[in-house]
Amino acid sequence: MSDVAIPVEKGPVGAHDIRPGESAHDGGHEEHHASLGLSNMKLAMWLFLGSECLLFGALISTYLLSKANFITELLAGNPDVIETLPPEIAAEFIAAGSVEPIYDIPFTSASSFILLMSSLTMVLAHKSTHEGDIRNQRVWLAATAVLGSTFIAGQVYEFTVFFREGITYNGNLFGSAFYTLTGFHGVHVTGGILMLVALLIMSFRGKLQRDRAETVELVGLYWHFVDIVWVLIFTIVYLIP
Amino acid sequence: MAITEEPLALPAGDSGPAEKPLGVFTRPREATGLVNWMTTVDHKKIGIMYGAASMFFLLIGGLAAILIRIQLATPNSTFLSADAYNRIFTMHGTVMVFLVVMPLGAAFANYMMPIQVGARDVAFPRINAFSFWVFFLGGLMLNTSWFLGGGANGGWFNYAPNNGIAYSPSTGIDFWNVGLLIVGFGSLTGSINLITTVLNLRAPGMSLMKMPVFVWMTLVTQFLLLFAIPVLTVAQLLLLFDRLFEANFFNVAQGADPLLWQHLFWIFGHPEVYLMILPAFGIVSEVIPTFARKPIFGYPFMVFSGIAIGFMGWGVWAHHMFVSGIGPLSVTAFSVATMFIAVPTGVKILNWLATMWGGKLILNTAMLFAIGLVTQFTIGGLSGVSHAIAPSDTQQTDTYYIVAHFHYVLFGGALFGFISGLYFWWPKVFGYKMNEKVGKWNFWAMVVGFNLTFGPMHILGLQGMPRRMQTYDSAMGFTLWNFVATIGSLILAVGTLMTLYNAFYSYFQWKAVGKPDVGPDPWDGRTLEWSVQSPTPEHNFDVSPTVTSLDDFWHRKYVEDDDGAIRRVATGDELAQPGNGEGVHLPAPSYWPIVLSAALPIVGYGLIYNLWLTVPGGLLVIAALFGWALEPADDLDLDDGHGHGHGGDHDDPDGGGNADDLLEMV
Amino acid sequence: MRVPLPKSVARWTALAALALTAAACADDKPLNTFEPAGPAADRIDGFMFYIWPIMGIIFVLVIGGGIWISVKNRVKPEDYDPEDLPPQTHGNTRLEVAWTILPAVLLAGISVPMVAQIWDLEERNDACEPGEVGEGCDGLDIMVIGQQWWWEYRYDADGDGFFQDANGDGVVDGRDQELPLEIALDPDDVVTATELVIPADQQIDLLLTSRDVIHSYWIPRLNGKRDTVPGRLHTWSVEAFEPGKYTGWCTEYCGLSHARMRMSTIALPQDEFDAWLDNQKQLAEVPEVGTDAYEGRELFAQQCASCHVINDNSADFDPGDDVAFTIFDYGENFEAALTSKAAPNLTHFATRSSFAGGIFGVYLGPGTDPNDDALDVSQYLTLAEQASAADSRDDFRVNSAQLKRWIANAPSQKAMDPDDGRGMTAFPQLTDEQLDNLVAYLATLD
Repeated sequence: MSDVAIPVEKGPVGAHDIRPGESAHDGGHEEHHASLGLSNMKLAMWLFLGSECLLFGALISTYLLSKANFITELLAGNPDVIETLPPEIAAEFIAAGSVEPIYDIPFTSASSFILLMSSLTMVLAHKSTHEGDIRNQRVWLAATAVLGSTFIAGQVYEFTVFFREGITYNGNLFGSAFYTLTGFHGVHVTGGILMLVALLIMSFRGKLQRDRAETVELVGLYWHFVDIVWVLIFTIVYLIP
Repeated sequence: MAITEEPLALPAGDSGPAEKPLGVFTRPREATGLVNWMTTVDHKKIGIMYGAASMFFLLIGGLAAILIRIQLATPNSTFLSADAYNRIFTMHGTVMVFLVVMPLGAAFANYMMPIQVGARDVAFPRINAFSFWVFFLGGLMLNTSWFLGGGANGGWFNYAPNNGIAYSPSTGIDFWNVGLLIVGFGSLTGSINLITTVLNLRAPGMSLMKMPVFVWMTLVTQFLLLFAIPVLTVAQLLLLFDRLFEANFFNVAQGADPLLWQHLFWIFGHPEVYLMILPAFGIVSEVIPTFARKPIFGYPFMVFSGIAIGFMGWGVWAHHMFVSGIGPLSVTAFSVATMFIAVPTGVKILNWLATMWGGKLILNTAMLFAIGLVTQFTIGGLSGVSHAIAPSDTQQTDTYYIVAHFHYVLFGGALFGFISGLYFWWPKVFGYKMNEKVGKWNFWAMVVGFNLTFGPMHILGLQGMPRRMQTYDSAMGFTLWNFVATIGSLILAVGTLMTLYNAFYSYFQWKAVGKPDVGPDPWDGRTLEWSVQSPTPEHNFDVSPTVTSLDDFWHRKYVEDDDGAIRRVATGDELAQPGNGEGVHLPAPSYWPIVLSAALPIVGYGLIYNLWLTVPGGLLVIAALFGWALEPADDLDLDDGHGHGHGGDHDDPDGGGNADDLLEMV
Repeated sequence: MRVPLPKSVARWTALAALALTAAACADDKPLNTFEPAGPAADRIDGFMFYIWPIMGIIFVLVIGGGIWISVKNRVKPEDYDPEDLPPQTHGNTRLEVAWTILPAVLLAGISVPMVAQIWDLEERNDACEPGEVGEGCDGLDIMVIGQQWWWEYRYDADGDGFFQDANGDGVVDGRDQELPLEIALDPDDVVTATELVIPADQQIDLLLTSRDVIHSYWIPRLNGKRDTVPGRLHTWSVEAFEPGKYTGWCTEYCGLSHARMRMSTIALPQDEFDAWLDNQKQLAEVPEVGTDAYEGRELFAQQCASCHVINDNSADFDPGDDVAFTIFDYGENFEAALTSKAAPNLTHFATRSSFAGGIFGVYLGPGTDPNDDALDVSQYLTLAEQASAADSRDDFRVNSAQLKRWIANAPSQKAMDPDDGRGMTAFPQLTDEQLDNLVAYLATLD
């Protein structure tokens, strides 16, 4: 079959203009048109995040159910449950009818705010990259990583406090569910921080120029997703009694 | 799309080493042999490996099935101990679902789907290799439990709290749990990869509604996987933490509700059922039109019913729990929802029949198996309706009636469809046809054996024989039909083995007559895979095809006259691309996918036996991620000036797929 | 030489077919869902009576149609002509819409009575909370506790609606229902195992729970099944039209000996049931000193009483003894309930016809096979009497051999895992004489 001229379906122009002669970032293909107008990587990232929604959905459901069962048992006076808590904590929980007394809402609000701010710096990092402003790109990437690390430090502190107060991972349902849910989120944030550090290293080695703006955007997508999940977790775990 | 790039060498040539950055090893170069298979990123080879691995696991699962049937052939049999029986039926279900039927779907999707959409490979070839190896090595790890404590013993559904350390202290359930977690990674990365491929790598002109039905079903299947796997992952992680770190998620003494496991498992488990059958539906939707020599009847209905099944599959999970005590309101809702999922399924069956209606049927083995699916699946669908009716389900669930039902769906449905696909696409993959005479024997042995095995189970179930029973008493009146079922299972085993036999037999026959060229289009095919040579050249298409209609390849062979008559204008062999790969640039093979995949079971063994072992495993994961990240997608030693920059690394300690995705770009 | 086989083959085939049919229809299927013997099972069966034919018609149409189309449109390979194409029909929207809507309508048609049926049965099965009084709720409540691998039944004999003071606050009230292990014992109630004895022709509300893993209570001829989930209380009901024995089987996979976790429901006429219940409320008699049974009782106190309970009227037993011949509250502590003290209550062992999770008969003789329903329930109240008159009734006697085998080495008789706290341990140290004494004692527990 002869190589006839074929009208190539061009999707809406995205952030990824593939220049002639350069392969797309799809693992070494010849240049492929993206039928959807999204690059492969971005599409894959969206799909991955969709999958992550179900992961966190299941974890949050597990937490809600476990905490509810924990409170029910506590209020019913199940001795097996009560003995997993220090007496004063158990008394506080029973008096409040919830696990609310253990939380330090102002502290967690502050660390949540920090994490939310990191989304802003992430946007700025992407913007700088897009504009080719490598200096600011590094600043904002570093800022995002630092803010994220601060959040993680806050979480480590919070875990330590909870543990000292007597909420253990294997003690009761609440402990297991709380540490698992927030821990999973923490691991995701940590993963994001590592990605940011990798981006910084790339940037300092001169490999994160304007043409790689999509790389920053992808990390940004992930980062925003993790932030949004935290907003959800913060609301569900900490704010709603 | 036309190839506009300058010609590139195929990755077999040799050229001087280019700039070699730190940490980049020499790429594997072997074009054949074991190393080539282990490092390939070619979707076709990966597809073949998926198929071969599934067949390997099918032998294990099948052997387990035969042992079960021998045990149940006579009442009060002592052939297997209760413990051995429990482990064997658990492993039978687990292996068949996760390591046979699911990867068989992946095998066809991997091999055929990229060709059917006119692509050269999948979107992320290295991740594709990773998906396969992680499935295969995870599956192997799961099966090592046969020798390390005797296999899992909690049932494939592994209900809490029986799956806890208090009731199942042996390591079998840990293997089940960790092995399937690892296999799940493969499914997840595979689904992201295949969805991206379908959505983004279609040939010019192939709009969604011009995609072959098989591609559509693959797309729906992979979306189901994408969303179902994380839910199972969560359930398994909770169980892992319970068993490993004494968490309390399923600890009833602490007030945990064991139904949590059931909900999580079936929210995964019911979409799972459909993602096992939909690829087979897709295959049959290719086979029937080809051998009826008519287009698929009602293409849009076929597509939308598949999508509808995909959506409705999420709203019916609790029909596995009608007797779990979920309350009448839930029972009503899920009962009605389950009834109506029969509608899109019924549409499919009627459309297949309508495709055959008025056709000129070529009843070769592929077609026979396709018709086999249509009929056997109908039986499974009908028995499905009888336990969608919740009150009747309280009598039928957990009896052999259910066993009969899902074997009609998964064996008579999915597996018949896959075997149909094997016969159909075998010449495309290997360059020779499977023997028709053996094929007919194969088909009839399987149909007879299958119905003899599972038909009587309907009766047994309604007569009150519960499933997962190591033995029964002669006074219960189950003796006769159990014996019949065992006889049937032996016939079925022979029938199934004939498929494998036929593959080899046909090969030697073909070799004996000097390997004649089967030609690119042996069946007068309809879709793009028949427009390339057989076996498919490594680069698939010399030039990307341009698609103008559904069944594009067929429409190039046949045109409609002015007076409306269909006339053949060319044969497939004339139209097919010659298979000249000059100037086609292909991704280079890589060691890292298999290294990364091999690291995961090491971590898994560490979780089961000694947490310290997770350290070397984890280090290997990190090393593999680094290696992967630093390795450019192209072989630098064959550099054409297109090597990418590469730099830092992304690492996700939780081992999620996101790192893998990101790695592809650096 | 050619043997004229066909004739004999045909004859044998016909014979085999006849034998198959006969065997298939023989009335020896104690678990058959098609032979309902209670209103719930009867309704399910009655509803399905209309569904099976519909399914049958669809089955014949689709399968028959598929085969017919295949045969009719078949083109032999030698007749294959690539130029000769059939009419290229791409679809027919009207037809497809029709066969989308028609099944939907059919299913909707089935759905309406089905939903009514669900709620009808739910009303039956969830009719009364335990202790609830009022219309239709005055009947006896029975708690069914599944555990590896036998069933325990607790009769709310004093009718207070509760089975236990689970949280130990001294009051038996609604709070106790919220606890995960509502299986502690109300001292006034009756505890039995394996055989659920109910009055015939009366709805009995059941409360299902489990002590360890999930089981499922299923008496196919009386009602569907419902899971017994630890930490949850599920309501369920049984009712039998006629007196009789109705066998069942645990139907949720529950571990090692799932296949040997069986049970039965014995429906008695009301007056016999009342007599049975009165007897169950009695404490067991202490055998006369010096008899084998008395020796057996001594032995039981040493060897068995750490797990099994027999409530007897012993005056000579010092409560200070470590012999717990008192009512043991084995729901008190989860771990203890799990690993010990959770063995069947044997106070009226000799009134049951089967033991060890319903797999062995306590007695030998006609109708004593625990796997079928041939038991003559009119004799149910006099099982022990008949057996004790063994001289005149050689054909009906205590199944001593099996009981001894069981006591000496239970794990050899039924797969169990006593080392992990699941199931009965072996007692290799017991001599044959000691086993005889134990069996003699057990036989007195009527």
